[in-house]
Amino acid sequence: MASLPQAPPGPGRSIPVPRPAPPAIARVRSRRRPSGEPPPLPRALAASGKFWLGLSGVVLVMWAVVVVTGTVTVFDVADTRVLQAISELRSPGLTPVMEALGVLATAKAIHVLWLSNLILLVIVRRWRHLFVWVGVGLLVANLGAFLALALQRPRPYEVEIIGGWSGFSMPSLPMTVLAAFLVSTVYALIPSGTWRTRGKWAVAGLLVITAASRLYLAQDHPTGILAGVVLGVAAPLAAFRMLTPNAVYPVRYSRARPAHLDVSGERGEAIIRALHDQLGVLATDVAPFGLAGSGGSTPLKITVKSADPSGPEESYIFGKLYAATHVRSDRWYKLGRTLLYGRLEDEKPFHTVRRLVQYEDYILRLFSDAGLPVPHPLGIVEITPEREYLLVTEFIAGAKEAGDAEVDDSIIDQGLSIVRRMWDIGMAHRDIKPANLLVRDGTLFLIDSAFAEVRPSPWRQAVDLANMLLVLALRTDAERVYRRARLQFSDEEIAEAFAATRGLTMPSQLRRMLRQQGRNLHADFLRLLPYRLPPVRIQRWTWRRAGLTLVTLVSAVIVAAITVTILGSPL
Amino acid sequence: MRRSHRWASVLPVLAALLVLPGCIQVGGTLSGDLVACKEGDDGTPSNGVVLMAQAVPTASWVPCLEGMPLGWHFSDMDVDRGSARFWLDSDRDGLRAIEIRLTESCSTSRATEIPSDRPEMRRLERVSQVTPMYIGRRYYLFDGGCITVVFRLSGENRGEPLAVATQGLGAVPRDDLRAMVHEDSDGRLDLDPPTTGEGGR
Repeated sequence: MASLPQAPPGPGRSIPVPRPAPPAIARVRSRRRPSGEPPPLPRALAASGKFWLGLSGVVLVMWAVVVVTGTVTVFDVADTRVLQAISELRSPGLTPVMEALGVLATAKAIHVLWLSNLILLVIVRRWRHLFVWVGVGLLVANLGAFLALALQRPRPYEVEIIGGWSGFSMPSLPMTVLAAFLVSTVYALIPSGTWRTRGKWAVAGLLVITAASRLYLAQDHPTGILAGVVLGVAAPLAAFRMLTPNAVYPVRYSRARPAHLDVSGERGEAIIRALHDQLGVLATDVAPFGLAGSGGSTPLKITVKSADPSGPEESYIFGKLYAATHVRSDRWYKLGRTLLYGRLEDEKPFHTVRRLVQYEDYILRLFSDAGLPVPHPLGIVEITPEREYLLVTEFIAGAKEAGDAEVDDSIIDQGLSIVRRMWDIGMAHRDIKPANLLVRDGTLFLIDSAFAEVRPSPWRQAVDLANMLLVLALRTDAERVYRRARLQFSDEEIAEAFAATRGLTMPSQLRRMLRQQGRNLHADFLRLLPYRLPPVRIQRWTWRRAGLTLVTLVSAVIVAAITVTILGSPL
Repeated sequence: MRRSHRWASVLPVLAALLVLPGCIQVGGTLSGDLVACKEGDDGTPSNGVVLMAQAVPTASWVPCLEGMPLGWHFSDMDVDRGSARFWLDSDRDGLRAIEIRLTESCSTSRATEIPSDRPEMRRLERVSQVTPMYIGRRYYLFDGGCITVVFRLSGENRGEPLAVATQGLGAVPRDDLRAMVHEDSDGRLDLDPPTTGEGGR
């Protein structure tokens, strides 16, 4: 390798690349949202949610009044007269029918309903709905049991009870739990719109039938059933509307990744309105873009009015929609990396989506200021405060991924310059892969700076270099890339890069493409090096990592124990 | 109730997850008052006793708690159509050391009848095991029902829990409960349905 040109010792030189200006887009004056005006995509209980919650409040107040004034006899007498009137209808033929109609409120049926919902939600991987389901189920079942114990109302007097029952009767626990489970099923499994409306009517029908059966068999008081249904409907309605609003967590049956948010309908309109108000951008359409390459956000191609009088009327900008779910994903991702890699990846997760999007915007501006070929940042748009934000940048139109584009010496030099420049300014991209390197008209662009880090470990910087070399060699060969790399990096730096990079430290897309090509580029580069450095040990154990591993294992055991427990009957 | 007890053990964790600490405490209201023979200023049986009476409509007597010595606590209660049970915990004899059951009938095979401490009830005893735990049953038989006291004692001193079952455990005549319901409703309601056969299957 002595014949190859060699970079001078010390910091190499990066080859400056002129950055094309972004396409002109029409801008109007932005508008400040006045105090009190709802955000573009507010969360609301809706009228029916407020009605049922209000009704629950009425029930609670009535209980308090009855307990304080000691007027339970009034209700006892009224309930008894109703049940006595209904018992007049009993006949040997009708009783088995009514027993069958009340089957939904039996412990077995409720258990089946509970388990089938949990299993279905796990199968469709609708985790948020699952957690709300479990939370509502536990809350309602325990709250109902608690209220029954607190109020201690016996079963109906003076009428023969001919059906099974258990415990005190106010509120009717089977009706409370059944109502909660049926409403939860509707909100967790049925897409909003016509089908959900039909589902609600079906639930209402089932509750009426079950209530009729229980009244016929005199298992519950009419007021106990009424109170149970009110509580059972109100709790899931409020929980699902607040915690899984349709616009944010739509119920849909498609192969879309859970991380990708639906931008049609209400959310799409909110994005267009927010772009107009907050950035003065006249958007006309919002569509998902390149979802396959993104797992941590929802990438969007946004059509906007162009400001170029001689060009087309429309232009595009790029948006990355971040939601609270992405913050959680980021947290799990970082926990996973810390457990896998240890000290070298010891980093703190973000706690709010606002911080996450602010960080990425900051990194983008840092890269941009340093002259790196990144999309021009256009700002942040708030969709729902503290829950959803849109990071807006220039759209690199007509570009190809580095894995598909023509790669010549100029592109190779630009790629290596990017790494050298990042080293110079003390940064690492941490996700160099074909999908994040775009080529257009002989210019290489670096995108997706979400994982970038300021003052990273030297190991992480070395990994960036190796991954860049591997990506560039995908469309050429190791020798050509190595020859160009020696113009900007020393042999020692390249050797360090390959000593630091192997297996999991390469993005999965890069690993996949290397496998598909059947080439061992890593080994090719190692053969080209005049010497090799010992592999950098990735697995570093620290007290923090050991503690985290222990906490994770204990948490897993607790979660398993809870899972086993909640699989039991809620009644 | 017994079934909610298991769920209650999960609740603290999930309530914490739901940011609802302190909102729910299932079992928090469970005390001996739930099945007290005399409750409140008027000294009437508690609603738990009425509920037990409803569980076994034939029973002419219904068990209740007169009081408990130090070291004994009311544990849990499970009342269904056809049977009613409650348990007492002991600091020395373990959890659910004594179980009291009310059923319409009970099997008293291998039990020995001894003089009863309660008029209108026959008393039978059956000891299944003495060491390392004391396991035994006491039956009180009466018109339309049977009270079974199940002992599972892990402590050394067996005399005290046996005395608790004799002195702490009481029984209320069904007629008293009927009178109480009738009086509380100003004569408008009765505990049991009319016995004329109407309203049946």
